Amino acid sequence: MGALDRVSQLGNQLAGKSGKDTVLSKNEDDIVVTACLRTPFTKGGKGGFKDTAASDLMVGALRGVIDRSKIDPSLVEDICVGTVLAPGGGATEMRAASIVAGFPVSTAVRTLNRQCSSGLQACVDVANQIKTGMIEIGIGAGVESMSSQYGPGAVTEFSDLLEAHPEAANCKVPMGVLSEKMAKERGIARADQDAFAASSYQKAVKAQATGLFKEEIHPLKVKYQDPKTEETKEIVVDRDDGVRDGITAQSLGKIRPAFAKDGSIHAGNASQISDGAAAVLLMKRSTAKKLGQTIIGKFVNASVVGVPPLLMGVGPWKAIPKVFEITGLSKDDVDIYEINEAFASQCLWCAGELGIPQEKINPKGGAIAFGHPLGCTGARQVSTLLYELKRTGGKIGVTSMCIGTGMGMAAVWVAE
Amino acid sequence: MASMLEFRTPQFNPYAVKYSPYFDSRIAVASSSNFGIVGNGRLFCLGLTPNGIQVEKSFDTNDAQYDVSWSEINENQLVVACGDGSIKLFDITVPDFPVMNFHEHKRECFSVCWNPTAKDTFVSSSWDGTVKIWSPTRPDSLRTLPVGACAYSVSFSPHNPAILSVVAADSHIRVFDLRTPSSAQYHLTAKIPVHMSGGVVPVASAPPTELLTHDWNKYREGVIAAGGVDRVVRTFDIRNPAGGPLSVLQGHEFAVRRLAWSPHASDILISAGYDMTCRVWTDGSTVPPDTAKTVHTGIELGQMNRHTEFVTGVDWCLFGAGGWVASVGWDERVLLWDAHMLLQR
Repeated sequence: MGALDRVSQLGNQLAGKSGKDTVLSKNEDDIVVTACLRTPFTKGGKGGFKDTAASDLMVGALRGVIDRSKIDPSLVEDICVGTVLAPGGGATEMRAASIVAGFPVSTAVRTLNRQCSSGLQACVDVANQIKTGMIEIGIGAGVESMSSQYGPGAVTEFSDLLEAHPEAANCKVPMGVLSEKMAKERGIARADQDAFAASSYQKAVKAQATGLFKEEIHPLKVKYQDPKTEETKEIVVDRDDGVRDGITAQSLGKIRPAFAKDGSIHAGNASQISDGAAAVLLMKRSTAKKLGQTIIGKFVNASVVGVPPLLMGVGPWKAIPKVFEITGLSKDDVDIYEINEAFASQCLWCAGELGIPQEKINPKGGAIAFGHPLGCTGARQVSTLLYELKRTGGKIGVTSMCIGTGMGMAAVWVAE
Repeated sequence: MASMLEFRTPQFNPYAVKYSPYFDSRIAVASSSNFGIVGNGRLFCLGLTPNGIQVEKSFDTNDAQYDVSWSEINENQLVVACGDGSIKLFDITVPDFPVMNFHEHKRECFSVCWNPTAKDTFVSSSWDGTVKIWSPTRPDSLRTLPVGACAYSVSFSPHNPAILSVVAADSHIRVFDLRTPSSAQYHLTAKIPVHMSGGVVPVASAPPTELLTHDWNKYREGVIAAGGVDRVVRTFDIRNPAGGPLSVLQGHEFAVRRLAWSPHASDILISAGYDMTCRVWTDGSTVPPDTAKTVHTGIELGQMNRHTEFVTGVDWCLFGAGGWVASVGWDERVLLWDAHMLLQR
């Protein structure tokens, strides 16, 4: 009941801060990013990381974070790694990976799985841990080796109880099949999907050629067995090998649909199966200042929503307005949207429904061009977004994705 | 504007004004010294006499006064919301001291409203993020409803004794129905985000805003108008919480501090704000609907700009030809004027 409280309350009523002002304001208790990077993404089964375990990818990414930030590893209290396909959640390997990367045994490690948003969920969880005061400094990360762990074993057989419930049983309908259904139902034309996919390739080719991925990518030296000579050698992987030049809507138009004869979805307009890892170092602004860390951006807030399992592709369409409601932003306040291209159809549909202009979405291409290592993508988007915002002079960015079994997530980030 | 009655409240900055529901000549003004930041409060009970406005009674409180509401069962009683979190019940026939003191709120009590239909309870809201329902005969609250954000304004429905509404700093109108079971929701039956436009998935049409004031329409059951820091008055139908605003009234140049629907017409309301004006509006609901547009645009019918400081309170007189209004502001003045004069100009 102090006079100062009353005065500040009145002051707020007069000033009437907008959501954008609040998001852009810098406060000591902001959760900031002081390092973020990813390994290159390589093609599942044949790319540069085909013989590299998920744990080894994670070691590389974590080492990269230590290198870049020069953080004392013993100050990092918790690491959370999003990973989807690893048996046992990959918990044991990731704990071991952190030790190999140079973190002391006092740094705790866990993994989590929220399907395609695991990497984002990991960052959000760590940010929230810091916000509540549970930890001071943490790393949100994501990794997937689809070369070694992608396959039919990822889901156990549904019980009779689950099978008997129609909506529950929908949770295991394969992504391709349900996306095909959604594309048909929502009238997303094959030509539009192909044009969107081709532009993803073209944007990625251009970004690669002009070195726009340089800052976010942390190259790794790995063992690689040459498929022809069967000779194992050490190679340095420093670029996404899924990015292909010369792809046009016309060339994609010739590919046969993968999931239905009269369908519209094929390998060229869906995300690639890839290997990769990404990591984001998070702490309070006050901590970053104290340690002399370079602040790259800040985490504002995130949303998670559920949608019908068969319409999982609409996740971003519901999650993005929700994160706007939480943060008080409107869609025009955002400079760049990183919306995961699980399928051209769903990404295109969500962007259209939300009225987001094409030039604001995935300016360096997306998962169609360079891949979607499931657990990694959410953490990958952070570095893709923050470095691009910085380069273009933008401020506010959103990362978002649809999530298998019918969910969506979105997060707001600010580049500094 | 020709005829305007004026009363001064030297050293005290008014925060609220209310016409008596019993007498056309009686007005209550809650005021605070030093703009309500520090110091005492003073409650004025004013009478309109052939010799102008006279003080019938005044009551001082230790802390600022932010709102006032007349009792609906006793024509001499009224409750005042105080800065120390207390609510005081004064009786004009009992000098100096309150006849009851209700002190449970942990921070500034900012709004009080007597139940106009059941008449046996009143409700208060506070910066402590709660709403409390009281009986004038009991020192302890009957019920506490959590809001979770600074609750600036609370009001009972004029149509149903069990329904009340609150607006808060978190940009939401909350509607409580006391007939519902007190489940995990604590009687909360609707939560309307005022900054969102309607639709299957509501989309933010504006950033969230602190809501400072609201009022129930006296004729159209379920219609509420709310205003606040974003300078816009919006009306909503609580039966369609996700439907977005019915009408949007834009014109104030600073925060809207107080608004009141007309007791005489279903589409007329008056608002007062930090831009030192009072504005009379029609919400556009009587205009034949334009099928292309789902949201009405309110029309400003007139503006009273004689206050020289923030206007903090405004109320309609229930009696007479209709159109008499009392307004108060930080300029230490109570002004009584006829809104019809504005309309003719």
